[in-house]
Amino acid sequence: MVAGKLKGAGEPRIYVLVITLAFLFLLVLITKNAFYLNLYFMVFMFAGMSSAWNIIGGFGGQLSLGHSAFYGIGAYVCSLLFVKYGIPPLFGLIASIVVSIVLAVIIGYPCFRLKGPFFTLATIAVGEVMLLLAVYFRGLTAGSEGLSIPFKPSLFNLCFESKTPYALVAFSFMLFALALSTWIKRNRLGFQLVALRDEDQAAESLGVNTSKAKMAGLMVSGGLTALGGAIFAQYVLFLEPHSEFSINVSINLALTSMVGGLGTIVGPAIGSFLLIPLQEFLRIWIGSSFQGLYFVIYGALLILVVMFMPRGIIEFFSGPYQSFLTRLPVFGGRTEADGKIRRTPVSSGRFGRTETNRRSETPPIIEVENISKRFGGLSAITDLSFSVRAGEIFGIIGPNGAGKSTLFNVLSSVYRQDSGIVKFQGKNLSSINKSHLVCRLGIGRTFQLVKPFENITVLENVMVGAFCRHTKSSEASSLALDVLDFLGMLDKKDAFGHTLTLADKKRLELARALATGPEVLLLDEVMAGLTSTEIGEATELIKKIRDHGLTVLVVEHVMQAIMSLSDKVMVLAEGQKIMEGSPQEVIQDQRVIKAYLGKGYELT
Amino acid sequence: MILLQLIVNGLLLGGIYALISIGLTLIFGVVRVINFAHGEFLMLSMYITYFSYTFLGLNPYLSLLVGIPLMFFAGMAIDQLIIRPLREAPAYMQVFATVGLSIVLLNLALFLFTGDYQSIHMAFAEKTFRLGSLYLSYAKLIIFFSAILVSVGLFLLLKYTNIGKQIRAIAQDRMAAKLMGINLNRIYMLTFGIGTALVGIAGGLILPVYYVFPSVGVYFVLTAFVVVVLGGMGNMVGALLGGFIIGITDSLSGYYIDPSLKEVVSFIIFLIVLLIRPSGLMGIVGSEEMGMK
Repeated sequence: MVAGKLKGAGEPRIYVLVITLAFLFLLVLITKNAFYLNLYFMVFMFAGMSSAWNIIGGFGGQLSLGHSAFYGIGAYVCSLLFVKYGIPPLFGLIASIVVSIVLAVIIGYPCFRLKGPFFTLATIAVGEVMLLLAVYFRGLTAGSEGLSIPFKPSLFNLCFESKTPYALVAFSFMLFALALSTWIKRNRLGFQLVALRDEDQAAESLGVNTSKAKMAGLMVSGGLTALGGAIFAQYVLFLEPHSEFSINVSINLALTSMVGGLGTIVGPAIGSFLLIPLQEFLRIWIGSSFQGLYFVIYGALLILVVMFMPRGIIEFFSGPYQSFLTRLPVFGGRTEADGKIRRTPVSSGRFGRTETNRRSETPPIIEVENISKRFGGLSAITDLSFSVRAGEIFGIIGPNGAGKSTLFNVLSSVYRQDSGIVKFQGKNLSSINKSHLVCRLGIGRTFQLVKPFENITVLENVMVGAFCRHTKSSEASSLALDVLDFLGMLDKKDAFGHTLTLADKKRLELARALATGPEVLLLDEVMAGLTSTEIGEATELIKKIRDHGLTVLVVEHVMQAIMSLSDKVMVLAEGQKIMEGSPQEVIQDQRVIKAYLGKGYELT
Repeated sequence: MILLQLIVNGLLLGGIYALISIGLTLIFGVVRVINFAHGEFLMLSMYITYFSYTFLGLNPYLSLLVGIPLMFFAGMAIDQLIIRPLREAPAYMQVFATVGLSIVLLNLALFLFTGDYQSIHMAFAEKTFRLGSLYLSYAKLIIFFSAILVSVGLFLLLKYTNIGKQIRAIAQDRMAAKLMGINLNRIYMLTFGIGTALVGIAGGLILPVYYVFPSVGVYFVLTAFVVVVLGGMGNMVGALLGGFIIGITDSLSGYYIDPSLKEVVSFIIFLIVLLIRPSGLMGIVGSEEMGMK
């Protein structure tokens, strides 16, 4: 990822890429053998379409097995426009893409309400519905008899005498798909998709509109798949619902991505380069004499890959490949970006401002009026009211089950209160029921159970937060670096989420939340489980954050920390406020001592 | 009068769907795996019945005595070989693995038995009788009552036996069940076996009224998914109810709309259910997100 920003053509990874592509291009040009040209066509098409699938299936983790719907609709729209209205397929492609994007919205709306395997089931159902409809409307699609496309060679018709131009069209399609998925992966949408795949709740809390991001991902993915389907149809010149809308198409796209490396940029292409030739050869060697046997091998391969190489083939290649790259010479000297991080100061970010307007004269920034929240028979919060002034550190303590985390979940709109009002800067939050909107308004939060995005680096984790207020990748990255610098985590920026220690994971939570540019920060037990040195560091950090003008609400069990930090402390027990006051007042209050230590305990 | 006959036909058809779906929903509720190869188990059990009829001359209903234990052990074996290593893996990997299994089984059948449609001819299965103005098929009535019998049996098993209690405990809370000393792996294995044995019953019972061919499972499993989601994932009573609802829908839409669109109607119901009540008719609201990621 880091090296991904390099521009210089002298860099090994750039010229190796160019040489590889040039080699593939030449491979197509020098052969006249119809078998190989057909193979190249298939491989490039599947590489492109798997990359398309991977945008929502891999980056976004939404395992669709209904992409045949896009493939088929792309093929039919383009071909029917040609057959019925004489519109050349080259222009028809655009219609294919548009229709499939509309289809993506129609499919996405119900299906994205579901998670995991349920989403998969729903997409299968969609694919089947499309198949059945295509068979049923035989007046339009010619049904099961199939639709033949007249052979009229012309570039506009995407129809050629020889197979070479077809292979070149497929090659361009693959390049386009790879470029598009590279661009997405490195920009806001890609970060958001990966974030929601790893931890959707955390993504929401960082201002990611997960529904919108998934929808955008599906639209791009579906449009690109439809483009593939349309090109494919002009190659085969025959359409039939059972092959166009076959679930095998969907499975194939998912499978090649999985085998190559799910969620990586080149994984799906690599998977296609391996599997499609295998498929073709198996079909030729054993397919004709033993019906079905090659699919047995194919399915078995899928099971084995899932069980023994869940990260795909790319995992085995990327290490040796990287070390191979480092041994290659660099032409034209190292570019300035190499090894150093370019940082442009962020001006528009709210983070980094220095004015400190605090103490009691400031207006209340959060006002909570009589909120209650019940879970079935359990009353987690009962008629709670309090207010927090801007620039304050507001501590919330209470025994387990007092309702502290529930309160945070209400404030960040993860839950909705049963009654009562929450106001932020005088604005009523009751009408907002999505936590990403709350984040965008200016309330950031961390989670008691840390939820780092495990498969991306620390820097990328923080960038997800930074994208809350920045659309450009460069801005998000420099803001993220600022935040990491501020929190003293710059040395860990390239570590992956899952490799961090607990203390670092908690600090990462803090960094991500800060990067969203909040006015108010809700910290849910950021110190639990830390050593006393780490607690000391965390205390200093929180004070530093307050000194930047933020308001901080802290839920904590570590008394020593909360007493030295807070300007004001509220004590909760069984969902109700026992008292509120300065740390000194709280410590001496009999009710607090009772709530914590029990009734029989007397302070002597 | 036609309407009544259609509803009765639908109920009988729904019995078949329910019988297939109960195993699927049981496996999902406990093992937390959506078994995409469930339809292929149905296909296998149909072939078991078919071959024991053609080679051994065994009555299809008697062949259940062979089919049920075979499917039970096949289910347990699959659980141990494929599902067990993936228990802690992300859900999508389990999806891939069971899809892979489905491809293998389907094509293995295609390779071994060819794609020809096979059926058995039983005089009994083709008989119908009149009840007032209604025509009823014996074979389908047997399926219908078997579905109810199987549901009741499963209910009693889950409610009163020790294993049933352990299964329910795991379905509610894996961790707590484990801390109570329940051997999770053993219960998962047994549940998978039971769920597969149930679809084995379905396969044996429907052969007298349906053809068997390698991809027969695909047709039925898609309907079973609809039924399971409609009834509420993991909910046995829901599967029974969902089966009947989809059966009646199929029967009515096949007559009043178009036979080739009846699946479209049930898939649209499926999507609508997902849209307004993803937890299903009998599922607890929010349960569709439980343990799913």
